[in-house]
Amino acid sequence: MEQSKKIANQQSVIFALIYGATYLPATWLLKHHVFSKPVSAFIAIVPIITFSIFIFKYIKAISVMDEVKQRVQLEAVVIGFSLTAMLVMLLFLLGLCDISNPAWFGYGHLVCYCWGFYFIGWFVSRKKYGV
Amino acid sequence: MKNTIKIERAKKNWTQADLAKHIGISRQGLNSIETGKFVPSTLLALRMAKVFDTTVEVLFQLDDIDFI
Repeated sequence: MEQSKKIANQQSVIFALIYGATYLPATWLLKHHVFSKPVSAFIAIVPIITFSIFIFKYIKAISVMDEVKQRVQLEAVVIGFSLTAMLVMLLFLLGLCDISNPAWFGYGHLVCYCWGFYFIGWFVSRKKYGV
Repeated sequence: MKNTIKIERAKKNWTQADLAKHIGISRQGLNSIETGKFVPSTLLALRMAKVFDTTVEVLFQLDDIDFI
């Protein structure tokens, strides 16, 4: 049981790294090279597939965690989601009055902020429960 | 919510790691419960009571502030 928990945990981390390893090169390729539309679409879809697999593994890892760790993960996701939603709303409202800075707050940056907010939530929740 | 996990653990001469292993959670998780930072589920509380051969009421008691 303990071994399967460890394996599920490791798999979610491994697939998060695989996702990162596909997302960053895909971003770089699409930004710096010109491909035909089908090839561009394929390159854009690859990180989405790896992200889907990561989410599947992450949910599986959460389901085998003990209840304290489940709570920590749940709170981290809630905090991460809430802060991301707040940022998106703020950017939308600022965009309505023509105050926006795409160099810092583009779609690509939002992904990084979302991850950052998740880790803030994780840190806060770990502190709260002393895990 | 107060708990007497530490006392019951001392009676059995168990470390947090020993008890955590018996009830199937992590040591950090047990520490969180023991220090009152996390209130366990009914299932976990019953499991704990069973390994200590006692009742849930002995292990967990409501604080004054838990009464509305």
